[in-house]
Amino acid sequence: MAVSGIGPVEPGEGTHARDTHSDGGALDPRGVRPSDSPPRKESWPRRHRRIALAAATACALLAGGGYLYATRPQKPAPAPPPFPSQVVDLTYLGQVTPAGGSSPRAPRFAMRLSVSHGPPVTVTRIGQPSAGITMSSTPAPPFRTKAGSVRKIVITMHVTDCGKVPKNAGLPFVDVTLRNTRAMEEHSFIPGSRYAHDLSTALQVACSNETRHHQNA
Amino acid sequence: MRQRSLIAITAALAAGALTLTACGSRDNGKSSDSGSGGTTVTIGIDAPLTGDLSALGLGIKNSVDLAAKTANKQNYVKGVTFKIVAKDDQAQPSAGQQNATSLVADNSVLGVVGPLNSSVAQSMQKVFDDAKLVEVSPANTNPALTQGDDWQNTKTRPYKSYFRTATTDAIQGPFAAQYVYNDAKKTKVFVIDDKKTYGAGLAATFTTEFKKLGGKVVGTQHINPDSKDFSAVATQVKNSGADVVYYGGEYPQAGPLSKQIKATGAKIPVVGGDGIFDPTFIKLAGSNATGDLATSVGAPVEDLDSAKTFVKNYKAAGYKDEYAAYGGYSYDSAWAIIEAVKKVVDDNGGKLPSDARAKVTAAMQNVSFDGVTGKVSFDEYGDATNKQLTVYSVENGAWKAVKSGTYTG
Repeated sequence: MAVSGIGPVEPGEGTHARDTHSDGGALDPRGVRPSDSPPRKESWPRRHRRIALAAATACALLAGGGYLYATRPQKPAPAPPPFPSQVVDLTYLGQVTPAGGSSPRAPRFAMRLSVSHGPPVTVTRIGQPSAGITMSSTPAPPFRTKAGSVRKIVITMHVTDCGKVPKNAGLPFVDVTLRNTRAMEEHSFIPGSRYAHDLSTALQVACSNETRHHQNA
Repeated sequence: MRQRSLIAITAALAAGALTLTACGSRDNGKSSDSGSGGTTVTIGIDAPLTGDLSALGLGIKNSVDLAAKTANKQNYVKGVTFKIVAKDDQAQPSAGQQNATSLVADNSVLGVVGPLNSSVAQSMQKVFDDAKLVEVSPANTNPALTQGDDWQNTKTRPYKSYFRTATTDAIQGPFAAQYVYNDAKKTKVFVIDDKKTYGAGLAATFTTEFKKLGGKVVGTQHINPDSKDFSAVATQVKNSGADVVYYGGEYPQAGPLSKQIKATGAKIPVVGGDGIFDPTFIKLAGSNATGDLATSVGAPVEDLDSAKTFVKNYKAAGYKDEYAAYGGYSYDSAWAIIEAVKKVVDDNGGKLPSDARAKVTAAMQNVSFDGVTGKVSFDEYGDATNKQLTVYSVENGAWKAVKSGTYTG
């Protein structure tokens, strides 16, 4: 049979019809009219039972509350900050020619260093691995970069021994030491073919006979 | 007293209700492993599941399985349940091509993870591309797969359905050369390869860069990958005066090769790419392998918090085999397919469109998410934009990371 869905399904507050005896007297919860109940003194075991029930209920509530508190959803421990090499990006911007010109044996290149997220990262060293060249930078290490910010770095290659200079490296490295609150790491950045091309061209110029002749003159 | 009874009963009911509420709140975090039912989408897998390279292939399979189960558990794509179908290519191009045809014939397959070998990929690419079925390899490193055969001069993407999460040998070979020449200070190399697409290509990119840096190639040789006797080549290495050997190939041959080279008395390191980066190499090469080097794609697992979660979940899933060198990349490859399916379903009112394969392939180009191996997205060639590499050295019978680099060009 279908249910109409009209009308209260269950009685609401104050809508209970009072159970009545034929004489109209209300029943107590035990179904006994008060007037029918002989006044009697509560026995000790009965009182004891009530006290025990109340105590047990209180214990259950305490235990339940304690259990809920102990098993409440807790925020997971905060993740450790990322390793610095995972948040730092170093990209090549281009070769830099100062207004007054630069020494052919000290070509300069601009890089952009950014930190994507996490605590600030300090560059404690910047260099390159090839023999015959040393590197300096502006700003000079150590320098600190905050997350979300970008820093322009100009590196200068100082050619010290043309015999050991790789004049046509395909993927030259820029080696940096990075430090944040998580770790200190050595990491290599490979700025790509445009940097490789500009660096090779500059090093070939720096080590050409013409340059040597010019410098010796 | 009646009032007290009511209080006691109310309190008991409240306690009961609270307990039920507590149970309910715990259940809220759980989802059915079967997802929400509805459409079933299959992620195909092609890898060597048997044979010498099965250690890598099974790691790929299990990692994809973990990704599918995770997506189902999270009900990540509403109305879609993912399942996997794994095919064994035994590292053979012909088997790979048959598997590709079989996967294309299964209409429920909307993406494929694999293969391991670049030579196998070459045989599969066109089959998948004709069917507009997306393929994401976690391990192929040969540049031609994404940039065309003439990649050194003109980059042209041959197949729009092919993507990979691993970086290429256009970077891996030079990266190894830079380390060997500048950091390890080795200047005379003997180069050996297995004549296969991956091995020969990697050896070539290493050699080019090594020579540009000023290094000398004192000998070259090819080996037969079906052989385990490399004594003749080992003797040539010994007599060449090389101070390092570069091997383009995989660990089943690289291990015995290293052992036999050391046995001649040539105490020089053998260096290889990601194809030798497996514990099996060390077992095969023996105790004299200390100091041998391998480059591999990505950063070391210990540097990636996201990878730690993957490792934990992989162990909890109880797979028998290790996730190996490409586990994280395989999980990310599968998740890229899941993301692409999600995009297509969301854009189509919660249902898969009739041309789902083509749409998933198109969606893959713009997929971007934080994966196990870092940010996962693809460039215009289908190559991973995350281009990290690490040099590992054999120390105390295990691979140890010694230098990591990031390509930012």
